[in-house]
Amino acid sequence: MLRNTVYCWGTLAKLLHWGMAALILAQIGLGLIAASWRVSPLKLELFFWHKSIGMLIVLFVLIRLLWRACNPTPVLPEGTPGWERIAARTSHLLLYLLMLALPLTGWIVNSASNIPFRIFWLIPLPAIVAPDDLTADLFALVHRGLFVVITVILTVHIGAALWHHFVKRNNVLVRMLPGRRSPHE
Amino acid sequence: MNKLVLLFCLPIAFMLPSAQATDWKMDPAGSTLMFIPTFEKIPVPGIFRTFDVRVSFDPETPANGVLKVSIDVTSADLYIADVNKEISGKDWFDYRNFPQAEFHATNLQHKQGSQYLASGTLYLKGVKQPLGVLFNWNSSANGTTLEGELTLSRATFGIGTGEWATSEIIGSDVKVTFMIKLHRVD
Repeated sequence: MLRNTVYCWGTLAKLLHWGMAALILAQIGLGLIAASWRVSPLKLELFFWHKSIGMLIVLFVLIRLLWRACNPTPVLPEGTPGWERIAARTSHLLLYLLMLALPLTGWIVNSASNIPFRIFWLIPLPAIVAPDDLTADLFALVHRGLFVVITVILTVHIGAALWHHFVKRNNVLVRMLPGRRSPHE
Repeated sequence: MNKLVLLFCLPIAFMLPSAQATDWKMDPAGSTLMFIPTFEKIPVPGIFRTFDVRVSFDPETPANGVLKVSIDVTSADLYIADVNKEISGKDWFDYRNFPQAEFHATNLQHKQGSQYLASGTLYLKGVKQPLGVLFNWNSSANGTTLEGELTLSRATFGIGTGEWATSEIIGSDVKVTFMIKLHRVD
């Protein structure tokens, strides 16, 4: 089914989740390689991809937030302790914030560096700040700092999903997997 | 008889147009020299802050004209800090070895209307290249201007070497535009 139920994620939610997981992993790879590569045509090309995918992620996050607001959110299994519930909500909230903050800070770096850019070579991205070297350097630092944070939170997120599946033996991971239809407990 | 012919020739000699054309000097405040490379097909406007244009020219007798342009290549500014740093290097403009560029033209022809062609030589990054530059000459109550644009291939001058030579991420064609405000040298 397309929509969520209180027991299970719907098809669109699953699509958005795994689609974005793939894009975010790609971004981490692209960002790391582009930043460390020597000055060359390849470096510039990698950054162009990195920035384009970054803006695509912003679009998807907004769609995802809208969809989440219009759908029930599956509840955690009965008996889940309070601290787990808090941990889950906090880490998911942080992930949403980071999924927006990372592209936003990247956008600021691009604007402050006065670097011409078109999303996927097509859509010009307007500058959100005026060119300024100090701003560019500062937000580059923030962008990199946020990358470290998201890597930590993602490790927790993936680790927790696996823990739910292999240790707690509940359906928390399973209900996000594509193909599962039954809304049972 | 010969002396009589000579007497008639004298006034005619004075009526012939002088080979000395009007000299013009550039007004730096009102003049711009731009170069516009492309990055991922997006034009990136840049200027040369320091350059000079000297011209001897009369629109009615362009053949006597001389055009001399000298450019301080190290004054290039693409308005992007990282890029300005890169272009100073050996792979690009190589400021250290080739700080100056020049264009000399002694062959000026009228084309049509206010358009003329200056055929000369461009000296850039150690390369000597014949070059024809079309320009418009406009004189009005507000002053006199010389303006035009042309496209150069950066490969001709070895600007962007190694893997940059064939890469189209920085386009091979670079547009150059000029708007020169001139005043007579009296």
